[in-house]
Amino acid sequence: MTQKRAIPDSLAEFELLVMLAALRLGADEAYTVSIADDITERTGRRVRRANVYTTVQRLEAKGLVSTRLGEPRPERGGRPRRLVVVEPEGMAAVRATTTAINAMVGGLGGIIGEAG
Amino acid sequence: MSAPRWTIALIRRLAPPGRAEDVQGDLEEAHGRRRAERSPFVADLLTGIEALELCLALLVERARAGRTGQAGESSWPRVSWLDFKLGFRMLVRYPGLTLVGGLALAFAIWVGAGTFEFLSLIVSPRLPLDEGDRIVAVRNWDISVNRAESRALHDFVAWREALATVDDLGAYRDLERNLIVEEGRAEPIRLAEISASAFRVARVSPFMGRAIIEEDEHAAAPAVIVIGYEVWRSRFGEDPFVVGRTVRVGIEPHTVVGVMPEGFEFPRAHDAWTPLRLNPLDYARREGPGIQIFGRLARGVSLADVQAELNLLGQRATADFPRTHEHLRPQVMHYPRSFYYTLSGWYALALMSSNLLVLLLLALIGANVALLMFARAATRESEIIVRSALGASRSRIIAQLFAEALVLGALAAMVGLAGVKFGLTWALAIAETEFMDGGGRLPFWFTSRLSPATLLYTALLTVLGAAIAGVLPALKVTRGIGARLKQASAGSGGLRFGGVWTAVIVIQVALTVTFPAVSFFLRRDIVQMRDYDVGFADEEFVSVRLELDRQAAAFATSDTSRAAFLQHFAVTTQELERRLAALPAVTAVTFTDELPRTYHGWNQIELDEGAVPPRDSIYGHRVAATSIDPDYFDVLEAPILAGRGFHAGDQISDARVVIVNQPFVKQVLGGLNPIGRRLRYVAGESARSYDPGPWYEIVGVVGDHGTTSGYGRAGFYHPLPSGGTHPIYMAIHVRGDAASFAPRLRATALAMDPALRLENVVPLDEVANAGIRTAEFWLALLAGLTAIVLILSLAGIYAAMSFAVSRRTREIGIRVALGADPRRVALAIFRRPLTQVGLGILAGTALVAFMIGGLDADDLQPAQAGMIAAYALLMTVVCLLACIVPTRRALRIQPTDALRHDG
Repeated sequence: MTQKRAIPDSLAEFELLVMLAALRLGADEAYTVSIADDITERTGRRVRRANVYTTVQRLEAKGLVSTRLGEPRPERGGRPRRLVVVEPEGMAAVRATTTAINAMVGGLGGIIGEAG
Repeated sequence: MSAPRWTIALIRRLAPPGRAEDVQGDLEEAHGRRRAERSPFVADLLTGIEALELCLALLVERARAGRTGQAGESSWPRVSWLDFKLGFRMLVRYPGLTLVGGLALAFAIWVGAGTFEFLSLIVSPRLPLDEGDRIVAVRNWDISVNRAESRALHDFVAWREALATVDDLGAYRDLERNLIVEEGRAEPIRLAEISASAFRVARVSPFMGRAIIEEDEHAAAPAVIVIGYEVWRSRFGEDPFVVGRTVRVGIEPHTVVGVMPEGFEFPRAHDAWTPLRLNPLDYARREGPGIQIFGRLARGVSLADVQAELNLLGQRATADFPRTHEHLRPQVMHYPRSFYYTLSGWYALALMSSNLLVLLLLALIGANVALLMFARAATRESEIIVRSALGASRSRIIAQLFAEALVLGALAAMVGLAGVKFGLTWALAIAETEFMDGGGRLPFWFTSRLSPATLLYTALLTVLGAAIAGVLPALKVTRGIGARLKQASAGSGGLRFGGVWTAVIVIQVALTVTFPAVSFFLRRDIVQMRDYDVGFADEEFVSVRLELDRQAAAFATSDTSRAAFLQHFAVTTQELERRLAALPAVTAVTFTDELPRTYHGWNQIELDEGAVPPRDSIYGHRVAATSIDPDYFDVLEAPILAGRGFHAGDQISDARVVIVNQPFVKQVLGGLNPIGRRLRYVAGESARSYDPGPWYEIVGVVGDHGTTSGYGRAGFYHPLPSGGTHPIYMAIHVRGDAASFAPRLRATALAMDPALRLENVVPLDEVANAGIRTAEFWLALLAGLTAIVLILSLAGIYAAMSFAVSRRTREIGIRVALGADPRRVALAIFRRPLTQVGLGILAGTALVAFMIGGLDADDLQPAQAGMIAAYALLMTVVCLLACIVPTRRALRIQPTDALRHDG
C-alpha cells in the first residue's frame, strides 16, 4: 500500500535555490555541478557541491524531485551525470514558498529596498 | 588527468548503493576544471578537500537515513541472530575446535579477568560497606621526612571537635594480644583499640549484644570487649550466652558486651575491639602511641572540601605549635588509600599496565585459535564462495565469521568467569601467606567478589579474543575472493598460510617446548623443598615464634628502654625453656633467629684467604647467616664435623666466632679446611651487614641443616648475643607426636606470662609448607598454561598439516598418477609446515638452554646439554605425533581422489 505524501507548505532557503536552479537548467542539464554553478553565478555565494548533493537527496526523499542517470561523458571520466527532474509536488512547493515570500515582501519595498 | 585515486576509493566505499558512479563523475568533472585553471598540486589538494566534504555529507546523510529508514538498506555489515545461530551450529559441527579453542580462550579470559580483579583490589579498592566510598582516612604528613606521622593524638582531638566536613571522626590502634577464654588456653588475636564512632562509620550493628559506646571510652569505665564472629565461633563454640562472660585480654580481664556479624573486620582485619582510652594529656604533642584516624564524609561534602578545611586547621596548628607542627600537613583520602599511599599516579598505572602482559597472552592464544579457525574457514571455502557469488559482501562474510568466534568466546568467558572466583580465593590466600608475614591477614576489603568493572573488562576481552580469532582468518580467507571467483580458482588451493601464520606456528611450538621445561624446574624446586634433608629428625621438634608485648614488659620492669625490654624478654624465654625442659614430654629446648628450611636472606661475604673464585664475579659469595643458641647443635643432635661447637663464652660481642656448614666449605673454599680462616660481611640483604665489618673466625663445621639463602645452601652460624633478641624462634624436641604438643606448650607459656605470645606453633618439618603451597599454586597455574599451549600447539600443527593436504590434494593425485613416490610427494608437501615446527623447536630449545645455563655458555655442563638435546628430541616426537593423521591421509591420496576433488 502506498502512502500519499503530503505536499510541504514551504521549502527551506537552500532547498528553494536548488529547486529554482533545477527548473532554470531543465531536465537535461540540471545535475549537482551545474546546479552549484548556477546558484553561485546568480547569487554570488560560494556553494559546496556536497551541500547540493545532500539537498537533492533530501528533496528526492520528500518526493519533490526525481533523478535519473544520463549518458556517460568523457569529461567525467566516462561516468554519467545524475540529472534532476522537478516533480509536480516540487513545483507546488516552489510556488507555495515563493508566494509566501512575495506576500511577506509586499509593501516593504520602501523599507528593505527593491528586490533585484 | 583523473582525480586522485584515494578520493575515488573513499567515495566508492561511502556512497550509497548505485550512487557511487555519478558522485565520482561530479568529482572528476570538477577536478578537470581545476586542472585547467590551477597547478596539479593545488587541483589535487582542492579535489581531496571536496572529496572529504562529500564523504562527510554522505556519512551525515547515511546516519539520517539510518534513523528515519528512508534511504534504503545500509551497506554496513550487521551481525544478526542468524549469525549467532549459525555460530552455535558450527560449535556442534566442529567439536574438536570447540573444545580446544574454547578451553584456550577460557583460560586466557580466566587469567585476564582474574588479574584485572586482583590488581583492581590493590589499585582501586572498594570497601564492602554501606556507602563505603565515603569513608575516609585523615592523617598528618611530615613533609621533612616524606612519611605519615601517626603520633597524632592531640590533632585527633582537635579535628574531632573542629571538623564539620567529616562525621563520626574516630581513631584506632593495632594491638596483638593473647585472648584467654578459659584457664590454660591462650591464643593471639588481632585487636583494635577503637573509638565508639567506628561502628557508626561502618554502619554495621552487632549480631549479638551491643557495640562499643562513648561511655566505654572513659578511663574509669569497666573494661569491655566486642568480639568478631569468627572468634565467637572458634573460641566460644558459638555460645549463645557469651555476652556478659569475662575473658582475659593479655593480663587484663574484660567483659564481652557484643558479637559482630560474620565478615565484619573493620578497621582492617581485626578479630575483636576494645574502647580506645588514650588520653592526650598523658603525652606531649607528637609523642605517645601511633593511631589511625577515620571518619565518614558529611552529606554533600567532597574530599576537596575536607582537604580545604584541614588546610585551615593545619595552618592554625603550624602557627600555634611551630616546634612540632612546622612540617606537618594534614591530609584526607579514601580510607583504603591510607594503607597504600604509594599506589597512586604512575605507580598505579604501572601496576595496572601489567594487564598488558595478560592481553599479550590473550593475543597469543587468540592467534592460535585464529589458526584453527582459519584452517576451518579454508575447508569451508566453497560455502564462502557460494555466499559471495549470491551477493554477500566481504564485510558480511567477515561479520558472520566474527559472530561464530564471538559465540565461542562467550561460552569461554562463562567458563573463565566461573574459574575467576575460585582462582581469586586461592590467590588471596597465597597473598596472605606471601605478603602478610605468616600469621597476618589481608584487609577485609580483599574479597573474591567480582566487580562490575571486571565483568565489563571480561566482555571486552571476549570481544577482543573473538576479533582476533574470528576476523583475522576471515580477512585472510576472503581476501581477493572476487578475483579468485573470476579466475575460477576458488576452492582449488589458492589459499596459503602466510608469514603471520608461520610466525604463530613457530612461536607456539617454541612455547610448547619451553613451558614443560619451566614446569619441570619449578616442580623440581618444590620436590627439593619438600624432601630437603636437614640432617636431623626435624619431625620430632615443635617450632614457635615468641613475642612479647612491649607494654607488658615495661609494666614488669618499669624501664621503657629497648635494652631493658630485650633483657626482660630473654629472662622470660629462659624461664619458659626451664619450665618446658622440666616436662616429661620434652627432651630439650633451643633457640634460633631463623628456622631450618625457611628463607634466611643472603649476605655477601669474603674470606681472608683460600676462597675459590665466586661463580658470580659481581656479587661474590652469597650465603645465609643465622644466630643460634650455643647448645643448638646438641639439641638437634647434629654432630660437629670439624673444629668445635659454641660455648657460652662465644656469646659476648668480642668473641667473633662462627661455625660454617658443609655446603659453605664446598662452595666458598672448594673443600679446603676452613678452621682458623676468617670471614667478614661485604654487603647483604639483611640490615646487619652493610659495612665491611669485623672479621669472624671459623671455629667449626657442621652438616647441611637447612640454611637457605636463594643462592644455594651454603651458610654459617653466629652465637645468639647474650643481650637477647626479639622476636625469637624456639625449637622444642619432644617425645611422641610433635603436633599434639601445641596445647601443652600454650598452657605452660600462659601459666608463666599471659603477655607472651606464641605465633606459628607448628612441627619443625612443616615450617616451609606455606612456601611450598605458594610454589604449588604457581606450578598449577603453569601446568594449566602448559597443557593449554601443548594442546593448542598440537592442534595448530595438525590444522596446518591437514590444511596443506586438503589444499594440494589435486597436486598430490597428479604427481602420484605420473609415477611419483607418495612418500617423497608427502615430504615435499610437508616441507613448509615441518620447517615451521623445526624452527619452533630450535627457538624453544635455545630458550630452555638459556634458562638452564644462564647467559654464560661455559656454565652449560655436558650432561645438561645432553639433557636438553634429549628433551628437544622428545618434543620433536611429540610435535610429529600431530602429523601422523594428515600424513596418512596424504599417502592414501589416489589420482581418482584428485579427479573427484576437481569435480
